Amino acid sequence: MRSEIVAKAEVLRFLAPSYVDGVLSLPYQFDDCEPLIERIVFPGAPAVLPERAAAFDSAVSLLQTIAGVSYYKALLPPRIDLAPLSAARAALLTDVYVQGLGEFAVANGIDLRGYVAFDGSAPCPAATDLGLARRTLVPIGGGKDSIVTLEALHTRGEPVAATYVGSSDLIAACARQSGAPVLNIGRHIAPGLFELNRRGAYNGHIPVTAINSAILVCAALLYGYDGIAFSNEASASSANLTRDGQPINHQWSKGWDFERAFAQVVRSEVAADLAYYSYLRQLSELAVAQRFAALDRYHAHFSSCNRNFKILGPRPESRWCGECPKCHFVFLALAPFMTKPALLAIFGRNYLDDLALAPAFDALLEWGAHKPFECVGEGRESRAALAALAERADWREDALIQRYRRDIAPYIGRVDIEPLLQPIGEHGIPARVF
Amino acid sequence: MNAFIVLKFGGTSVSTRARWANIAAVARERLREGPVLIVVSALSGMTDRLKALAEAPTEPTSIEIIRQRHLAMANELQVSPECLNPIWSEFDRALEELQRQPGPSAQAALLACGELLSSALGAAFLNREGLATTWRDARQYLCSQAAEHDSEWARFLSAQCVPTLQASVASQWAEESPLSITQGFIARGARGGTVVLGRGGSDTSASYFGALLGASRVEIWTDVPGMFSANPKQVPNARLLRELDYDEAQEIATTGAKVLHPRAINPVREARVPLWIKDTERPELAGTVIGPEVATQRLSVKAVSMRAGITLVSMESIGMWQQVGFLADVFERFKRHGLSVDLISSAETNVTVSLDPSENLLDQRTLTALCEDLAQVCRVKVIAPCVAITLVGRGMRAMMHRLSEVLADIGARRVQLISQSSNNLNLTFVIDASDADGIVERLHRQLVKAGLIGAPGDAVFGPPWNVLLDKAPPPRAQWWRAQREALLALAASTPAYVYAASRIDAAIASVLSIGADRSFYAIKANAHPAVLARIAAGGIGMECVSLGELEHLRAALPELPPERILFTPNFAPRAEYAAALQRGVHVTVDSLYPLQAWPELFAGRAILLRFDLGRGVGHHDKVKTGGGRSKFGLLASEAMLARTAAAAAGATIVGLHAHLGSGETDPNHWRDVYAQLASLAEQFPSVRILDLGGGMGVPYANDDDDLDIDELRASLAHVRTLFAPYEIWIEPGRYLVADGGVLLTRVTQVRRKGDITQVGVDTGMHHLLRPALYDAWHPISNLTRSEEQPAVLCDVVGPICESSDVLGRDRWLANPCEGDVLLIANAGAYGAVMSSHYNLRAPALEVFSDAL
Repeated sequence: MRSEIVAKAEVLRFLAPSYVDGVLSLPYQFDDCEPLIERIVFPGAPAVLPERAAAFDSAVSLLQTIAGVSYYKALLPPRIDLAPLSAARAALLTDVYVQGLGEFAVANGIDLRGYVAFDGSAPCPAATDLGLARRTLVPIGGGKDSIVTLEALHTRGEPVAATYVGSSDLIAACARQSGAPVLNIGRHIAPGLFELNRRGAYNGHIPVTAINSAILVCAALLYGYDGIAFSNEASASSANLTRDGQPINHQWSKGWDFERAFAQVVRSEVAADLAYYSYLRQLSELAVAQRFAALDRYHAHFSSCNRNFKILGPRPESRWCGECPKCHFVFLALAPFMTKPALLAIFGRNYLDDLALAPAFDALLEWGAHKPFECVGEGRESRAALAALAERADWREDALIQRYRRDIAPYIGRVDIEPLLQPIGEHGIPARVF
Repeated sequence: MNAFIVLKFGGTSVSTRARWANIAAVARERLREGPVLIVVSALSGMTDRLKALAEAPTEPTSIEIIRQRHLAMANELQVSPECLNPIWSEFDRALEELQRQPGPSAQAALLACGELLSSALGAAFLNREGLATTWRDARQYLCSQAAEHDSEWARFLSAQCVPTLQASVASQWAEESPLSITQGFIARGARGGTVVLGRGGSDTSASYFGALLGASRVEIWTDVPGMFSANPKQVPNARLLRELDYDEAQEIATTGAKVLHPRAINPVREARVPLWIKDTERPELAGTVIGPEVATQRLSVKAVSMRAGITLVSMESIGMWQQVGFLADVFERFKRHGLSVDLISSAETNVTVSLDPSENLLDQRTLTALCEDLAQVCRVKVIAPCVAITLVGRGMRAMMHRLSEVLADIGARRVQLISQSSNNLNLTFVIDASDADGIVERLHRQLVKAGLIGAPGDAVFGPPWNVLLDKAPPPRAQWWRAQREALLALAASTPAYVYAASRIDAAIASVLSIGADRSFYAIKANAHPAVLARIAAGGIGMECVSLGELEHLRAALPELPPERILFTPNFAPRAEYAAALQRGVHVTVDSLYPLQAWPELFAGRAILLRFDLGRGVGHHDKVKTGGGRSKFGLLASEAMLARTAAAAAGATIVGLHAHLGSGETDPNHWRDVYAQLASLAEQFPSVRILDLGGGMGVPYANDDDDLDIDELRASLAHVRTLFAPYEIWIEPGRYLVADGGVLLTRVTQVRRKGDITQVGVDTGMHHLLRPALYDAWHPISNLTRSEEQPAVLCDVVGPICESSDVLGRDRWLANPCEGDVLLIANAGAYGAVMSSHYNLRAPALEVFSDAL
C-alpha cells in the first residue's frame, strides 16, 4: 500500500516576493528551473501603510509558504530551502504540508510523515496591535454555511464584507443577494504548474482553505479588517479514515487544529488585533441547515454542489448536479426544517424518491461504507435527518424513505435530531460577535 | 331596438386622456350598430393601492396620493372634479368602517371606490365629448349569490353573480340614452352592501352585463391582440386564434393563458353572447371571437400551455376497492384544509390528484397537515415539483393518432399523471418540472409540423404573434434568389447538387471567429473534393469517421499534414484504428474495448477520449448521440478505468471529447460541454485539449433559430476564465456546408389528388434522404417561375417506391409545370453523402461553383 516517494526534484526554493500595483507575486523555484510565479490580485491596488509594512511582510511570507504546498506536492523534493521560522510557524507549516496533504498522500499511495519538515529554530517575532478597522471579512463559497455566518454577523450589527478568491458566477450572485460590500480577490496559479501536471507530476487535493486563509490575512492588512470569519463546522474536524495510526481528514484545513494553530500564528507574528476564526465551529451540519432554512431569500441562489461547474443558470439543475454527495447531503439536511414544496423548489427534483440514489444515501448514512470523500456531515446526522423524515406523513412514502424504514431503521439505533442541534466543543469566536 | 354592445376597458386603457379618446372613438363607432354599455376598471395600479390602504387605513400619504391621482386625471380629461364628490363620501365612510370594524366587508367597500371613481370621470369626459352618457351604479343591477359554506372573504372579496336576462332593463337604458357607463369588479351583496368579484373581476362584470342585457356581443379590450396557440413570450410564433367556442376558451383560459379570466366565460356561454378579445393598441386587428360554435372546423389543437408549480398527492389504499365512502373521506380532508383539487386520476387502489397551483404551499404547513390527516385513511405520497402540459382542442380523442411525435417527446420523460377530459377537449400530462425545459416550444413546433396547429388553409388560425406585432424576423435572405440565371444555367442536367464557394467561405469565417484553438470539419456532412479543398484552404482541419474517409481525404488533399486530421470512429474494426494510428493522425477512442483488447496498438501514442455526458441534443431522436443507450462515448463513471487502461497500454490521454448531437442553436451548449469536460479533466492531469464537438445548428425554415456566433464566442471566452487553461477544439460539419448547397430538380408530372396537388420531380429520397429519414424540412421554390406568386398548395414527391418519398408537404409553389426547375435549399449537408442506388436510379450530379 505504502510506496516509496519518488522525488521529481531536489529542492524547492521560495524566491523573494513582490507587491506592486495591487499584484502580489510569489515566485517558487525547483532546482535551477524557470521560477513559477503565482499572482494574487487585490482589487483597487491598495498600498501598504508604512506602519503595517513589517506585519505585511510577515503575512506575505506566511502566505508564500502555505501556498507553496500546491507546488511542493507536484514534485515532492526532499529539501525545502527556507530560512528558519519560529517554532509555532514551523509546526503549522509542517502540519499544512503533511496533514493538509493527507488525502493527496492516500491517493498517491505515499506517506509524508517525517518526509517534510520545517526548521523552527528562529525566535518568535512580536506582533503589535495595528489599529485595524472594526469590521469582518466573511469568505463566501456560494453555499449555505457562509450565508449563515454572513447573516448572523449582520444581525449582530457587525460591519461585514463578503469576499471570495477566484472567479465564480455563482458566488458573485450570492454575494449580490446579500447586499453586503463584495471583495473579489484574484488568484492566478503559475501556468508552469499546469505544464508540470501534464508532464506527469504528482497530483491531488491540496488544503485550499489554508491558502485562502493566508490570502485573507494579507487582505485584512491591506484594506483594514480586524476579523476574518470562516464558516467551517464541527464535523470538518473529523477524519474520514485512519491509516497506520494517522487520521486522514480530507478537510483538515477546515478543522479546529488548523484554525487554532493558524489563529495563534497570526496573532503572535502578524497582527495582535487580527482575529481569525470559524463562526460555525461549534455547530453540526444539521444545526447550520436549520439556520439556513429560515433564510429564504437565498434559497433560489445558493449552491453547495462541488460539481455545479461554476456556471450559473436559472434552473435548479444548473446549480445542483444531483449526483454528488454534497447535493444529496444538503437536501437531506435541510429537509427536516423546511416544508417539502419549498425544499423541492430549491433542488428542482426529489432525490429521496429516486431508488437509483440508494447507494449514495447509504454512503451518507455510513451504512456499509465509509463516508464519501467530500465535505458532508457525519453518518449520525444523516441518520437523524432520515429518521425525522420517516415520521412525517408527507415524506414517509417516498421510495428511499420507505426503503430506510423497511431495510435500515430496524438495524440501527434510534438517532434523535435535537441533541445534534446543540453547540459543542471549542471555538475561537471573539466575544463581541458570539 | 337593436341589441346592446358591451365594451370593457381595463386599467391601462382608462388611465390617460389619449386612451379615453380611444374609448370615445370606439363607442362612437359601435353606437352606429346599437346602444352601448362601457364597463371600466379602476385607474391602473389603483386597486393595489386601495388594497394596501385597506391594510393601513389611517395612512395619510396613501389617502392623499389616491385623491391626487384622480384630481390629476380630472384635470387631464378637462372635467370638473366635483363629479367625484359623491364617491369621496363613500370612500371616507369605507375608511371609517375599516378603522371601526376591519374585515372583508369594509375592504370591499373601499376597493369598490376605484371603479366608481374611474367610471365617474369617464362619464364626465364622454359627455363633454358630445356623447350623451348615463352613469350607472353596477350594484343596482348585479347582485351576488353566496354559497352556504363560503367564507366571509369569499362572500365579499370573491363574489359571484348569476345574472338573468332582463329585457326591461335593456329597453329602459336604451331609451334613456344610447350610451351608458358602469363599473367592473363590483356588485351588491346578497344581504345588501358592496361586494367585489375578485381578480380579473372586470372581465366577469362585462360578461354579467352581456347576459343581463341580452347583448349582441361583449368586447374585452386589452393589451394583447387576442388568445394564442401558446404563450407568445415562450413561443414567439404562436398563432392567433381567430375563433373559439366557449368550451375551448374556458379550457385555454383555465390551463394557462392569462388573457381572459376563466370566470368571465360562463355567463356569456349561458346566454350565448359572443365574446371578442380586442387589442387597444391595434383596434384594426380582428382579435379573437369566442362564440357558441365555430363554423367550419378542421380537427386542430387550439393551444398548448404549461402550468408550473403542480403538486400531486397520491393516495394508496388496499381497502379502497369497493369501499364505500373512501373517496368521500379523502376529499373531505382536502376540504378541511381549504385545498382545492384540480386533476384526478384513479386506479384500483390508488387515486392521485393535483393541487391547484395557485395554492400557496411553500411556507405554510398546510400540505404537511393534510398528509397527516390523510395518513389516517391511506398511504399518501407527495410528488413535486411538477408541471402540467395541456393540449386543448375540440375532438381531442380523434387526434390521438396524429400526436405520435408529441407523445414520444413526452413519453421520454417520467409521466406522473395523464388526464383526458371527459368533454373531449383537453389532454393533460403531468411531468417532473426538471424535465420541462423548452417543452412548450418543442411541442408547439411538433404540432405545427403535424398540421394540427395552423395548418395551411385552416382559417381558425391567424398570423403568428411576431408577425402581427411586426416583431417577426425578416424573411431570411436566400442567397440563391439573386443567382437565378447562373443556377438555371447549371440546371441543364438535373438533378444536380450545386455548392456555392462564397457561402462556404462565409461559413468558414464564422467558424474561425468562434475563437477555438483548432477546428476540424466533419467530412461526413459533405465529402466533395472541391468542398474539402476550400475548407482546408480556409485553415480548418478535417475529421473522419472511417478508413474510407481517411483514404478519400488522402486522395483529395494529398498535402494535408496528419496533425490537421482527426479520426473519431465508432465501433470500427481493429484494422481501421491500426491504419489511422500508423498515419499519425489524431485519434479519439470512445470505449474501453479498444484500449483493453488492443493495447499494443496504442503504445506510445497520444489519444483523445470521447465521453457521453448523459443527454442528447438534436432536432430528432435519430440525431441525438448522447444519453441512455447511445452507442457513442464512455460513461463518466468509467473515467478511472479508462485512465488505467490507457496507462497500461502506454498511451497518453491528451484530450477529452464530447459530442451530443446535432442542430443545437443554444450558444451556451458548448460552454456547458467545456465546463463538464474541464471538471472531468481533473481526473486526467495529462489532458491539455478539450474537444467540444460540433452540432452547430443551421436554420432550415424561416422561423427556425439562428445560432448566435457572437454569443457562442463570448460564452466560451468567459468559461475559459473559470477553469484551468485548455486548448479548445471544435468539429463543425453541417454548419460549414448546409446553406451553401442547393439541389436543383425538374418537375416530371403534376396531378391533383383530392384536395392536394402532387408535384413529381426527378430527385427523391435516393438523393436527399433527410425528409424521409428525419422528417426534415427544406425550403422548396420554383426557380423557373421565381417572379410569380407561390399560389398553389403542393406536396413535392420523388419517384422512389416508398410512401415516405415526399420531399415537402403543404408547400406553396408558383404554378408548377412539367419541366420547371425547382430548387431545394439548405441541401449542402447530409445530402449527396447519404444518397443510394435504391430502385437502381442514377445518382445526382454534384457541381462546385467558384462563381457563386
